[in-house]
Amino acid sequence: MGEVRRPFFLPGGGAPLPNHEEFPSRLFDLAGQDHPIMSAPSTTAATSITCGNCSAATGGAHFCPACGKIQPLPPGTDYFAFFGLQRKLALDLPELERRFHSLSWRLHPDNFMRASELERQLSLDRSSQLNDAYRTLRDPVARVEYMLGLAGMRKEGQKKQQAPPELLEEVFELNESLDRLREARESGENAAETAGLRGKLEAAQQKFESSLADADQELTQVSAQWDRALDSGTDDATKKKLMERMNSILNRRSYIRNLVESTQKVLAGT
Amino acid sequence: MGRTVGIDLGTTYSLIAYQDKLEGAPKCIPGPYGTPLCPSVVSVDADGAIVAGEAARRRLLTQPERTIYSVKRLMGRGPADVQEELKIFPFRIDPGSTNVIRVRLGDRVFTPPEISAFILRELKSWAEDYFQDSVDRAVITVPAYFNDAQRQATRDAGRLAGLEVLRLVNEPTAAALAYGLHEQKRGRVAVYDFGGGTFDISILKLVSTTDGDIYQVLSTNGDTHLGGDDIDNTLQSVARGEISAQGVDLATHPETVQELRKALIAAKHELSEAGKTTVKFALPNGAVYFREITRAEYDGWIRPIVERTMAPVRQALADAKLASAEIEEVVLVGGSTRVPLVRRTVTEFFGRRPHAELNPDEVVALGAAVQAGILEGGVKDMLLLDVTPLSLGIETMGGVVAKIIPRNSTIPASAQELFTTGVENQTGIDIHVLQGERELAKDCRSLARFQLKVPPGPPGLARIEVKFLIDASGILQVSARDLRAGKQHSIEVLPSYGLDDAEVERILEESIEYAEQDFSERQLIEARNEAEIMLHATEKALAREQVEAPGELPADELRALDGAVAALREALAGADYKRIRAFVDVLNQATMPLAERMMNRALSTVFEGKRLDEV
Ligand SMILES: [Zn+2]
Repeated sequence: MGEVRRPFFLPGGGAPLPNHEEFPSRLFDLAGQDHPIMSAPSTTAATSITCGNCSAATGGAHFCPACGKIQPLPPGTDYFAFFGLQRKLALDLPELERRFHSLSWRLHPDNFMRASELERQLSLDRSSQLNDAYRTLRDPVARVEYMLGLAGMRKEGQKKQQAPPELLEEVFELNESLDRLREARESGENAAETAGLRGKLEAAQQKFESSLADADQELTQVSAQWDRALDSGTDDATKKKLMERMNSILNRRSYIRNLVESTQKVLAGT
Repeated sequence: MGRTVGIDLGTTYSLIAYQDKLEGAPKCIPGPYGTPLCPSVVSVDADGAIVAGEAARRRLLTQPERTIYSVKRLMGRGPADVQEELKIFPFRIDPGSTNVIRVRLGDRVFTPPEISAFILRELKSWAEDYFQDSVDRAVITVPAYFNDAQRQATRDAGRLAGLEVLRLVNEPTAAALAYGLHEQKRGRVAVYDFGGGTFDISILKLVSTTDGDIYQVLSTNGDTHLGGDDIDNTLQSVARGEISAQGVDLATHPETVQELRKALIAAKHELSEAGKTTVKFALPNGAVYFREITRAEYDGWIRPIVERTMAPVRQALADAKLASAEIEEVVLVGGSTRVPLVRRTVTEFFGRRPHAELNPDEVVALGAAVQAGILEGGVKDMLLLDVTPLSLGIETMGGVVAKIIPRNSTIPASAQELFTTGVENQTGIDIHVLQGERELAKDCRSLARFQLKVPPGPPGLARIEVKFLIDASGILQVSARDLRAGKQHSIEVLPSYGLDDAEVERILEESIEYAEQDFSERQLIEARNEAEIMLHATEKALAREQVEAPGELPADELRALDGAVAALREALAGADYKRIRAFVDVLNQATMPLAERMMNRALSTVFEGKRLDEV
């Protein structure tokens, strides 16, 4: 994975390379509207928006406070603001779900079957963003990735997997075990050796899973520090450091997760 | 404005239901035969007239080459996809088929959505007859695991039948809606939907909120080519193996194959109730295939089929992040859940007795009617939040798929992607959209291709944002914006499988003739067909009786037969389809002793003079 993350169409008839991040932060990155998260309140850029139907100021709300018509998505709305939440990482999940259900009742296309073509489209846009936002925010890891993306800290091309040093020895052994397992299979399934290798793989798998749990725990801790920093108005340099730490935990986590998944695959195949 | 209905367009049977605003509970509408089950069978006459439903099903025996069943298996698929089904199903695919399958019926050729539209028209006519009012809008159900192409094909079928398709609803979810209304259930529910040709599992969470009840689907999985059909085919391959061991090759007797299939389906139904059953089947050479099947033997044959449903069940639970013990209710849907082995397997897996209070054949149509009620505004306190069953992705360099909307995302769902050019003066960017879980494009389902046209310029200058949106029916919509110009960018998306809009329009124009045919006129054609089939069969049987047992036919029986034949011929001269049907039934009754005797005689040649009840 190189630096070039913009999609390309290759002259030889190759397919385009689209943006390749897993979570939809790119919507904002790509529109060139990275939000300077250090100082932005969650309702940025919503003050001057007016209703297309009655021209009342809407403040970026889902529905016009004056005439009640569904409103277009203002550019730069973020998932936190969509739910009327601050950009904090510790989320009350039952409360998030309650808001998700309440907004679903109001925004879902079912309610707009007899509305105008425009309103039907707006309902489709808003309800799809509601679902996208809920899918992202309810998952603690996706939530951090998304927040970092909003802050411009996790852009295209910056995302990479980092091998955690404490696992290097394990990874080395894992590769060796995999090679030997393959050889054992090719030489006609030496049952005893296969069983021994399987034991080794299972041990490695356990180790990787516990590393994954460690990374998750660390992410939770740093997320909590981030929320406290927001509350106490900590300086931007400290915030930036915290974001860098979260970014590096995410990179490590993504590496470990790949290890867990590939070991699982091999184990399932033996 | 006419009525809105809910339709279950099934592999074996289809049903139509409605929700009365005043009565509350949804109801299925019975057809002219008194049952709400309309066989999903279509047949074309020698003169080009089309019949669907029961009349067509009867023709499976007399004119199999003009008749098609299980067409749902072909919806949204390309010729290359169906090679496996062609080995088991008597589909006659037109060799000219490219991206859309074309099926030959007699000397006419139809696409699967057209054939499905004939079934939908039949149901529509039932409802119009019932309401004495027009029916023009519908909610149609689809297997939850249907991909975009299969959904589009279903929507096209609705359009071709003259229906505005308000929404496609997933079958297990529809069942959950019907159950929720019926039982007021709350909590985590698994819906196990094993139908005629498809299997779905959906995990739902039912939540009461201050606004009403939310039916939120957490995950879904399935197999769109696994169903009761497979059980029938297994029974059939056993029977045909044994029949050919008796020295009879059925390959040259398509009618007999259909009769055998019918007899084996009856045996399957009996084995759902009883511990054993007996198949007695007359072969073309006059011999009889006689076979006792025990439940244990039957279970052994079908166990691999039932086992195949369990991998999707485990995957759906894993995706919902739930253990089987955390499921509070299990609901069984679909005719194949009547099979005892299916019930036992599901009960053991979840460790609880599944619900099957509602008729498993009707529950999906009832749920579709509830959703129709919701969309019409009559039902205000229910909301269904469904998911997309398959991940949506786009092909990137090296044929790798980049997933942009993961499976089990609540729909509507969307993703935006920015595209630009890579070389000097490039004028287009090709986009290939796919659906599926595999990593390589060649292993996923191709949905569509389109090209973003850009003005020539230096590489990287164009900035076109493409929005992929999966709507509430699970169908993909694509739109594009030119970010530099700040305006919509027009694209033409070509479906990889299925009809494009122009083709749907053309078929619609051609079918106006059919649309104008009025209901009773069609009933008359069907009734006449049936009468002729019945008269022909009686004549044949009497001729055979003359040869095999001359002089044995009792005089009073012969009188009754002659009377019934004459009465039917007289009714046939008139134009009252109900009268014709009534006399078909009379003749049918009158021929029963004769049929019984012929069967006994055939059997006795095998069992050396024993009577049927002695063997
Ligand atoms: Zn307004």
